[in-house]
Amino acid sequence: MTRSRAIFLLLAFLFLALYFLLRQEAVGPLTRTRIMMGTVVEIRVYDDAAEQYDDAVSAAFAEMETIEELMSPHRPASDVSRLSAADTPIAVSTETLEVLQLAQDVSAASHGAFAATLGRLINLWGFAEGEAQLPALSEIEKALAEIGPAALTFQGNKITKSSAALAIDLGGVAKGYAIDRAITVLAASGIQHASVNAGGDMRLLGDRAGAPWRIGIQHPRQTGAVLASLKLADRAVVTSGDYERFFEQDGVRYHHILDPRSGYPARLCQSVTVVAEQAALADAVATAAFVLGPELGMVFLRETEGVDGLIVAADGSIEVTPGLQELIEWP
Amino acid sequence: MALNDYWQRLTRLDRGIVLALLTFCALVFVVLGLRSPGQSVQVRQNQGTVFNAPLAEDRSVELQGPLGVTRLEIANGKARIISSPCPYKVCIGMGEIHREGEIVACVPNRLLVQVIGQQGVEKENRYDLLSR
Repeated sequence: MTRSRAIFLLLAFLFLALYFLLRQEAVGPLTRTRIMMGTVVEIRVYDDAAEQYDDAVSAAFAEMETIEELMSPHRPASDVSRLSAADTPIAVSTETLEVLQLAQDVSAASHGAFAATLGRLINLWGFAEGEAQLPALSEIEKALAEIGPAALTFQGNKITKSSAALAIDLGGVAKGYAIDRAITVLAASGIQHASVNAGGDMRLLGDRAGAPWRIGIQHPRQTGAVLASLKLADRAVVTSGDYERFFEQDGVRYHHILDPRSGYPARLCQSVTVVAEQAALADAVATAAFVLGPELGMVFLRETEGVDGLIVAADGSIEVTPGLQELIEWP
Repeated sequence: MALNDYWQRLTRLDRGIVLALLTFCALVFVVLGLRSPGQSVQVRQNQGTVFNAPLAEDRSVELQGPLGVTRLEIANGKARIISSPCPYKVCIGMGEIHREGEIVACVPNRLLVQVIGQQGVEKENRYDLLSR
């Protein structure tokens, strides 16, 4: 290589570097945030000329609102409220049916560590209303009657409860499903690089404009600190932790992730992070693995197809599934 | 004078390279100089902005929500909620925010506090999104 050619290549490299630096500065995401589904929902779009997708982002928020209308236990006309109040088989929307079936599948696969029929128990503890209290054991036992994988039967879009008293709560899966629906709306409008983040549960569409997304995982015992980070694209990430909603009574901390088998908060984990293709599955599996604890939870994560995860046990020890080990970075 | 002598000894190609490198350096300085120079704290409620202030100026502000008054403190370049009428005080537990795009929210009191940059350009961060 002659001297002049080497210098020419050097200059070309420098100006290319400058071009990409300028381009990086010019590319800013379209970011919109709303309070909905009892949390903060943020949608970011990283495609070139992201401003043109403003309507698509509005449509994605509208889709999430539709899911909330169908599945919120606090809206009297929702499928979930109607089903909870019903004493005869009732028809539900395709969306609610899909979520109920997923919930039943995870309930069966986790041997009852997850349930869509915990409405009475959740109301009894008062976490949803913000007036949490320690219920009497007899009340807990009553609220647990007839819950479990056999509690609901499906006939087309008609659902039958095994007992009229059963109340439905899709809190462990509906938010993830709404995230999935929002991503579907964004993708259908041609967006290739976006994220939908609902209070820390998220799904990523494509990569982050040419590079993987860097997803921090909240440290369960250090506010504001990151336990680890993941480099991901086209994946959903959901974390269930005991630090979000809790109250203390007589020196004991009671958090909101209830074990359907005992009726009390699950005690074996601090947090569980699940990575999957769909947020609804990740949402349900994270809750189930949290309830199962580090040992059985890891077995459950390994046995669930398309799922990886990280479990922080109650003693602070950490276990990671093999599929996640190459993607994880520790601080 | 030494610089002049040196310049005279350079070939036309060398001079071109020197000028190109100087231009490149100047452009890099311009680009870096335009980067998000200041940040502010924006508070939104029901999709409307109810408060906006620079992160660099210490202050305390009372924000009215449906449950009552939430107090926001801006101090030492960081913002945090210091009192809230909400039942679980999750917003207080979320701690301080100072990086562009970071959010603290009091969902029951319908308040969304976010750090934003003047240019609307994200700053370098250790992660893009936080799973919690």
